[in-house]
Amino acid sequence: MLRAVKEAILGFTRAKTMSFFAVLATSFSLLVLGLFTLALLNLNALIRYFENKVEIVVYLQDNADQGLVGLALEDLSGLEGVRQVRYVSKEKALENFRTDLGPDSDLLQDLETNPVPASFNITMKPGYRDTLHVKLVADQAQALTFVEEVDYGREWLRRIDIFKHVVSVVGASVGALLGLVAVILISSAIKIAVFSRRKEIFIMKIVGATNGYIRRSFLLEGFFKGALGGLLAAGMVFSVSELFSRKIMPITSFSDRYYLYTLMAGALMGLVGSWISLGRYLRRI
Amino acid sequence: MTMIEFQDVSAGYSRNFRVLEEISFHIGKGEFVFLTGPSGSGKSTLLRLIYHELIPQAGELTVADFSSNRIKRRKIPYLRRKLGVVFQDFSLLENRTSAENVAFALEVTGASRSFIRSRLSRVFAQLGLTGKENCFPHELSGGEQQRVAIARALVGEPFILIADEPTGNLDPAISMEILRLMIEINTLGTAVLLASHDYSLLKGKDDFRRLHLSDGRLVYDGPNGKFAPVPEH
Repeated sequence: MLRAVKEAILGFTRAKTMSFFAVLATSFSLLVLGLFTLALLNLNALIRYFENKVEIVVYLQDNADQGLVGLALEDLSGLEGVRQVRYVSKEKALENFRTDLGPDSDLLQDLETNPVPASFNITMKPGYRDTLHVKLVADQAQALTFVEEVDYGREWLRRIDIFKHVVSVVGASVGALLGLVAVILISSAIKIAVFSRRKEIFIMKIVGATNGYIRRSFLLEGFFKGALGGLLAAGMVFSVSELFSRKIMPITSFSDRYYLYTLMAGALMGLVGSWISLGRYLRRI
Repeated sequence: MTMIEFQDVSAGYSRNFRVLEEISFHIGKGEFVFLTGPSGSGKSTLLRLIYHELIPQAGELTVADFSSNRIKRRKIPYLRRKLGVVFQDFSLLENRTSAENVAFALEVTGASRSFIRSRLSRVFAQLGLTGKENCFPHELSGGEQQRVAIARALVGEPFILIADEPTGNLDPAISMEILRLMIEINTLGTAVLLASHDYSLLKGKDDFRRLHLSDGRLVYDGPNGKFAPVPEH
């Protein structure tokens, strides 16, 4: 086994060009996939950021019965997807308004009555912050007799919905395409690397190597090369992500686990690719 | 004692196209046999049958304890370890030193490091290659490369050395040297089957056994000195 590991590492230096090509293909493919995933991750973070701002504001009539308001608050809280219903009284609303105005709050000094309505501020649970669910809750609130108006940024929400849809469709299709290209590129690189060593396979067979021995040495080499490609890709994605965060703007970066997955994906591709490429040489006697 | 036996063996690369027709002969322990015949007469195919890169379409071929009719695919590597094979193009790995090329044949069998080292120094000495251990194939002459290939074939102590046009890429003087080496190997007990269409190798070797192929048929099996080919039809 030790000799096999040694051989696998020496294999790098022996078939230099082809090894280099296979490692390059693996790391390049995983780099492109990684950067694409990073972009997708940040777009989703952006969407979540905007979605967090989604709020349904239900303005109440001034003469609303406090008992009914209390019951409605409970009812609305129980609706599907509702995270929290916060009651903002007229007094609190005026105070908020005053704080918002800041130095201009003197304008409100001379008011004889409080013109700001009381309201329910409804926030939704994650996963329910889309037009469909928000509208359901808004409609329920609108149906209450003591409700003046319901505001939930309809147009804004619609844009988020479309954006989300576009991101998920484009993300999935381009991601699948990139994944496919990666698999094709890596497997052809491995195929060429194995092909370039068919003489070695022939000699191994002639001197009496079993298929198991030949497979073991090639798989081990494929595993190491793939892992090296994955490591390079992970390093480059990390550098790009860090550099972008520091020099341009802070972005969401991958968790450590992602880099481990990249390394493992490379190693796995090297292993499986070698297995498949080797098959046709081993089937022949 | 029969080590290789062909019994009515027919073989080819497809069902409709046979390269060899009903070949029968046997090679005993420690024999030296020339296999001659023009290019395309089936010499290489016959050798391929012996090292089981090809399986007979009809008849039975026995190599040591293995019968072509009963051998399991996974046993073929073990059969090959009993043979030493040499090719016209030397088939050395360019990126390994001559010692590594020879050791390779033992490494794949899982031999221990110390065993490999002792076999290596013996076989290098036997073939006059001492001092060339760390040379890469491109640093060696053609004759030296073929001697490394023979060393690789012999290092596993096969009962027979099979050579397919071993002198095809070498000039006449070196060719004779390789032949002399093979005869020497034979005197130490290893059987040799040497396929060649270079008839100058056979000059003065009247007592040697010769098999002659023509159009895929074995047309002569006897001493080289009495060789009289059947007229080609």
